Amino acid sequence: MRKTPMTNGVRAGLQRGGIELRHLLRNGKEMSGHLTNVVVALLVAAYISDDVPGTRTPMSDLMLAGFAAYLLFQVGLINLPQMLVAEREEGALLRLRATPGGIPAYLVAKCVLIVVVAVGTVALLLAAGALLVDGPLPHGPGAWLTLLWVTTLGLLAVVPLGAAVGAVLPNPREALALVMLPTMVLLFISGTVFPITSLPVPVQQVAAVFPLKWMAQGLRSALLPDAARTAEAAGSWELPMVALVLAAWAVLGFLLAVPLLRRAARRESGSRLSERHRKAAQSGALAG
Amino acid sequence: MTSDHMHTQPVVHARDVTMTYGDIEVLHGVDLDIHRGEVFALLGPNGAGKTTTVEILEGFRRRSAGEVSVLGTDPELGDDAWRGRIGLVLQSWRDHRRWRVAELLTHFAMYYPDPRDPAELLALVGLTDQAGRQVERLSGGQRRRLDVALGIIGRPELLFLDEPTTGFDPEARHGFHVLVERLARDEGVTVLLTTHDLVEAERLADRIAMLVGGRIRACGTPAELARRAAAQAEVRWTADDGTSRRERTEDPSQLVWELHRDAHGPIPGLEVRRPTLEDTYLHMVNREADGADSDADKEAQAA
Repeated sequence: MRKTPMTNGVRAGLQRGGIELRHLLRNGKEMSGHLTNVVVALLVAAYISDDVPGTRTPMSDLMLAGFAAYLLFQVGLINLPQMLVAEREEGALLRLRATPGGIPAYLVAKCVLIVVVAVGTVALLLAAGALLVDGPLPHGPGAWLTLLWVTTLGLLAVVPLGAAVGAVLPNPREALALVMLPTMVLLFISGTVFPITSLPVPVQQVAAVFPLKWMAQGLRSALLPDAARTAEAAGSWELPMVALVLAAWAVLGFLLAVPLLRRAARRESGSRLSERHRKAAQSGALAG
Repeated sequence: MTSDHMHTQPVVHARDVTMTYGDIEVLHGVDLDIHRGEVFALLGPNGAGKTTTVEILEGFRRRSAGEVSVLGTDPELGDDAWRGRIGLVLQSWRDHRRWRVAELLTHFAMYYPDPRDPAELLALVGLTDQAGRQVERLSGGQRRRLDVALGIIGRPELLFLDEPTTGFDPEARHGFHVLVERLARDEGVTVLLTTHDLVEAERLADRIAMLVGGRIRACGTPAELARRAAAQAEVRWTADDGTSRRERTEDPSQLVWELHRDAHGPIPGLEVRRPTLEDTYLHMVNREADGADSDADKEAQAA
């Protein structure tokens, strides 16, 4: 039987994802970036000693659950777009475009990488949290199942969206600034690091449009005791709503990402690449 | 497909290709035929439309009009199987920096049905000693040779080389030329080379096309092109009184024979300088620079 380019692309993509993952693990700078997040969260958790108002749940548990959600969010909407923009800039995307089955392989590899990094950092955060600062872990199979589906759906909500963002951002230097600011704002208004109920209602309503609030809420339902739901805005975990909003973002993300990625790949060519290198060199020269 | 058919149909066939960006017409009807096993150089000043032409052939750009077939397929409709028969070496690639050289080649071999052996390929491009090195630690010349290795790993029938030796030192350039010659001669790879380097074009190319102002102004073997523009060769020698002399002539052989006859012996400082490709090239480019009226003349004649 002849290998079709598509199945071959998937095979090549899995190999590619594995190799990229190995490179990431060996890259001290990038690894320390991911680990710093975890360490900062653990340090903050160790210093917080109050309970969530109106409950007997430690504030540090709420924060760790929220931070786990933020890690997923960040991998999808910061790390992924940065990777896409950088690889577009260097010409990796063009090389794969010029290779049979290259683009499917590229997408498969990115999925492998993103899922492993996201799941890895969240697992590390929860495991280290449980060991070092008495952090929360799911109680019972139902809670583990919730953790699994919220993580999966959360990634589905942010990864295609991040791919769409990465497809349209101009260059790595501007890309970071453009995605960092809104992400930071969302981190603070989404009830990830302190209870959302302490924020004015209009701000809560804005946060409710975006996936981070729902990812954090879903993870709290998996990680915190059921009694803690009294501190939620609605007084319950609203799991159907969590599923609905995340699924809606996933659909929107896919609808945006497919044409935008296709367009980005189609527009790549040698002359565009050189043009960008010329501009980068120029702005470097001006800055220096 | 019969082998006869394979030989008669050019690998690259373009007729009356035009390209318009907004109001600006960049290509005004380019015709090209590149045959199997040929090394073909596309020369031209910046902005002449070289990149646009090559990107149309590579399937990265949609032409505005005209007919193009590359390996029997319209590049705009080229699928993965077609892509697999084409190799690409661009000067602006800086990708896969963290990968190790051998790792990268072995990975890219996966995408092709009948790839070259990565180890043999490393030997061919002279990177065996760098097999375990990270791509970002390669020198400029090594990096480009790796790009060539990646370009030919799938045994392409047609290889695009985009200003391949920019920034090479003379030794690296020589090594690169030997490699390209070997690919074309021993393996029958068709090569389309774009370059600014006239010496490189003359050395490597079986045929050269000069693209000036969006048109192919001249196309032929290096010798044909050199003869076409400046037909006169220059003969230099040292006269009896010790002064150096020079004369331009259409028949240098005749002049040299006459000199020998008059001198009854060897002629000191004798030198015959044939018109070079550079003479032709500069002639073409300059004619284009003051050329609007000659175009108008042609159009007037046609009407």
